[in-house]
Amino acid sequence: MSEKNNQDNFDKSLFEFQIADDSASEHIAAPKYSYWGSVFRRFFSNKIAILMLVIAITVVLFAFIQPIFSGYDHMKTPNINNKAMHYIRPFKSTQYIFGTDDKGNSLFDALWSGARNSLFIAIMATLITETIGIIVGMFWGFSKKMDVIMIEVYNVLSNIPTTLIAMILVYTLGGGFWQLIFALSVTSWIGTAYFIRVQVMIIRDREYNLASQCLGTPTWKIILNNILPYLISIIITSVSRDVPSFISYEVALSYMGVGLGQQFASLGQMVQKYSPYMTSAPYLFWIPVITTAVISVSLYIVGQALADASDPRTHMI
Amino acid sequence: MAIDNKEVLLEVKNLEVTFNNSRKNKGFRAVKNANFHIYKGETFGLVGESGSGKTTIGRSIMRLNPISDGEIWFNGKRIDGKISNEDKREVIRNIQMIFQDPAASLNERATIDYCVSEGLYNFHLYESEEDREAKVDAALKSVGLLPEHKSRYPHEFSGGQRQRVGIARAMIMEPKFIIADEPISALDVSIRAQVLNLMNKFKEERGLTYMFIAHDLSVVRYFADRIAVIHNGRIVEVAPTDELFKYPLHPYTLSLLQAVPMPDPKIEKAKELVIYDDSIRDFSGEKPILREVSDDHFVFANDRELKEYQEKLNEMKKD
Repeated sequence: MSEKNNQDNFDKSLFEFQIADDSASEHIAAPKYSYWGSVFRRFFSNKIAILMLVIAITVVLFAFIQPIFSGYDHMKTPNINNKAMHYIRPFKSTQYIFGTDDKGNSLFDALWSGARNSLFIAIMATLITETIGIIVGMFWGFSKKMDVIMIEVYNVLSNIPTTLIAMILVYTLGGGFWQLIFALSVTSWIGTAYFIRVQVMIIRDREYNLASQCLGTPTWKIILNNILPYLISIIITSVSRDVPSFISYEVALSYMGVGLGQQFASLGQMVQKYSPYMTSAPYLFWIPVITTAVISVSLYIVGQALADASDPRTHMI
Repeated sequence: MAIDNKEVLLEVKNLEVTFNNSRKNKGFRAVKNANFHIYKGETFGLVGESGSGKTTIGRSIMRLNPISDGEIWFNGKRIDGKISNEDKREVIRNIQMIFQDPAASLNERATIDYCVSEGLYNFHLYESEEDREAKVDAALKSVGLLPEHKSRYPHEFSGGQRQRVGIARAMIMEPKFIIADEPISALDVSIRAQVLNLMNKFKEERGLTYMFIAHDLSVVRYFADRIAVIHNGRIVEVAPTDELFKYPLHPYTLSLLQAVPMPDPKIEKAKELVIYDDSIRDFSGEKPILREVSDDHFVFANDRELKEYQEKLNEMKKD
């Protein structure tokens, strides 16, 4: 009884009528979503990735800027007859931080000059491999006619080791920057293309692509707008694997003596040249090896973190 | 809902769709000898169980699946097989599709603005950028969404909202004919009515024709003017909705209608279910085809069966 009284005697001034608004239920309360904004937010929330990014940027900048100032030329050996300048140990002199080698050249200067060449080759080869691989892979995944031919080409080419092809090509074309880049990327794109083809085939028949077809979207536009954005994280993963692998290919080829050629400094050539000193002057061997490892690992981890961040499934909440 | 001027908009003649997975075997015939026509301004329901070929028929009309035999005529023009690019554009502009799964039918990496105006871009159906934006705004408003949603991505929307984006995307092309491929089966029950009412609203406003593909008979009964029942790739019965529900003739239709759950537990419990079984049927006589039993009521039958069905129909009409 008392409840009923309470209901009758409420203070009407406390209440007011609210007009029903259908559109109110359609509002989205979440803040506006931006794809690349979320990618960077996600990336920079990963502390190891930031550390590795700093290392990678430092190494790359050093490799491309330091040789300009040092003017290091691999072929010049001014101190070759000055025995006092040979085998200076690292951190013993301010002028030669990493010491000097068997010919009295600064290892520090040689290292960055070599790193620049190695990085340049790896980046160029990656760029060519990825560009050709993505374009071919996209159409390969879409066209059944192309698939019949390309799968055979892939079967043949992927069964020949890349190192062997690169060795033969460098051997016949002669050592040099562009020859090596050509030799490294001439067959490697087919692996990327195959990888992209499989991904395209997975996404190709999803309903939203049928919807685009129903709306009359041409195939190249479907590839560009419907497929490619889904592959960003996969492509970044692929790039982050390619750069370190090309650096190590270069190192391996130079170690076998068919790399850039003696006139160019490179990390691989340094490893090859200094490997006899592994016991007598170990710093000569280990500093280039560790630098190679630091470049590869940092670039790989940055790439992986970026690939994870570019997957929108990690953006929720 | 009687339609006075019965102008045929779409006609499907002896349609056959075969899926080949290798060159050696003959392939799987998903649709066998399908015949039906759709009148202008009506809602044509296509009902059948999963895997019966409903979606395949819809996609063949949309030219997404190649057909292996038969003809499809739209508005007096043949639209199957190899046709000119101009005719292709015409088909796309006039026939649009609403998809089943709103979670899968929108490009997750594109904004709603792009999703809705994709067709406009392809056919350049706008005069200026402002005109395009105005059209997109109007399309979004017509489905009850807000213009501010344009810059959002599909994953930010609920299932019902996404389905309405899908409808807006089809409607912006101003089509004459819409194939709705189970547009509500992936939606929550509470918003099914919302989408159906929206579709009805467009039908009244724009004089659209629908082909409504569904497996839920209660929805089709509410929505469709005429119904075709499809079983194993074969159309077994075509009739106006009321007629089909009152006088189901083909045993498969009968079983299908019985499968609709009754809201009354007493009736539901007392109901005797007849499960359709091909193996116990009498197939004597020549090969059956789709024949007219009574006015606008077609059944898949041969001469002997046709007589049986006619007798059955007369008996039922007497009661």
